[in-house]
Amino acid sequence: MLNDINLEIYQGEVFGFLGPNGAGKTTTIKIITGLLRPNSGKVSIFGMPYDSLKAKQLIGYLPESPFFYDHLTGYEFLKIHALLGNCTDYKKKVYELLEKVGLKRAGNLQLRKYSRGMLQRIGIAQALITDPDLIILDEPLTGLDPIGRKEIKDLILEQKQKGKTIFFSSHILPDAEVICDRIGIIIEGKIMKVGELKQLLKKGIKTDEISLEDWFVKQVKEKNA
Amino acid sequence: MHRVWAIVENTFKESLRQRILNLLIIFSILLIVVSIFLEPFALGESPKILRDFGLVVSSIFGILVVIIIGSSLIHKDIEKRTIYTVITKPVKRGEIIVGKFLGLFFLIAVLELGMTAIHQVVIFVYEGSFDPYLLIAFPFSLLEVMVLLGILLLFSSFSSTTMTSIMGIIFFIIGHGSPDLKLFADQTKVVALKYLAYIFYYILPNLENFNLRIDLVYKLPIHTDQLLFSLCYGLIYTILLLYISTLIFERREFK
Repeated sequence: MLNDINLEIYQGEVFGFLGPNGAGKTTTIKIITGLLRPNSGKVSIFGMPYDSLKAKQLIGYLPESPFFYDHLTGYEFLKIHALLGNCTDYKKKVYELLEKVGLKRAGNLQLRKYSRGMLQRIGIAQALITDPDLIILDEPLTGLDPIGRKEIKDLILEQKQKGKTIFFSSHILPDAEVICDRIGIIIEGKIMKVGELKQLLKKGIKTDEISLEDWFVKQVKEKNA
Repeated sequence: MHRVWAIVENTFKESLRQRILNLLIIFSILLIVVSIFLEPFALGESPKILRDFGLVVSSIFGILVVIIIGSSLIHKDIEKRTIYTVITKPVKRGEIIVGKFLGLFFLIAVLELGMTAIHQVVIFVYEGSFDPYLLIAFPFSLLEVMVLLGILLLFSSFSSTTMTSIMGIIFFIIGHGSPDLKLFADQTKVVALKYLAYIFYYILPNLENFNLRIDLVYKLPIHTDQLLFSLCYGLIYTILLLYISTLIFERREFK
């Protein structure tokens, strides 16, 4: 259950949405992407209603622990998502993205033969297939090995350099620490803190505790106390 | 249009690659071919079993594919969460319904066409000539598939796969018992029952409209207005079902 969520994501930033399991991260993301409807309140994407086709045209979304159509090949999967996103000139783009996410050789392999990490990569590729302005990634680093995590983090930073806005949820805090401009902490459906990472770290903890992980644990403990 | 086409292609390929479909295809073709050996047991002068069996097998094949694959068409996507990346693209919910419908319909149409061709070849092998009169059954078998698929999509948009399959079977049985329902309505003396039976008769699908098997096998004359009525009935009924499915699916949330 979400309560009194008030969140503004700035254009061109990488925003990390952090919180313990069951805090409401995925529910918030599902509302932003139109999979769920809020009981009350308003969600806007670049000034447009969140569930309008125009807003959806600007979004790329990776669900948490994604499951995709088993019998489609990686190439077919990206092609279909390109067409769904009104990108009819998809061929070059599909091959480019397959290469970018390290699945060039697996493009003709059916998705049921993909490993968890490969599914995560193809999922990120489908989120980027329409070159969206807002990229929403729900736990994008889960299930990836250290090399995979590094590659996805680089991909996120590359998108940021291209001027894209990235909103992602994660519980892998050290990774979030590396790539986020700002973070928001959600606990039990309420936003506890939002701000620049450095500022929050300065305000929230002693000088000898410098990791986001320590700071995060402290926030959760305070909330539960 | 390309968005609908993307869903059509996805549904077509996903359904085609399901193992159960291969089994159904092999089994149905075997049954059609085997009917040659049953023909000597038929009484009467014209080869009836060969004709009847082929029509029944290809029709039942279509119905089985609709019930087995069609019942999970939307619900499986929701359950497995594969629909998430589709819904969040700039796609209308109605386009998803129509795309799913057409994807499976085209697949069944292609497969039934293949079965019809095999049936004709079997007749040719046995008699030395084709029987083009039987081809009239093909489009009407597809109309039955359309209506039943529409019903399954409707239930699939709000209920589970098992419930949808059960409803599919129930509607198939009721749909073919429609003339009996009419007969009951005509003959019953209880007024309330009479009206109730008429209401059900007019609301529930009458799948017997698409059953031309007896007429075709026994070479009975088929009137054009009868065919035209069945065609319009099938199309209108399906469009209505798809429209209602879209209305329900538009309100659906994905938890």
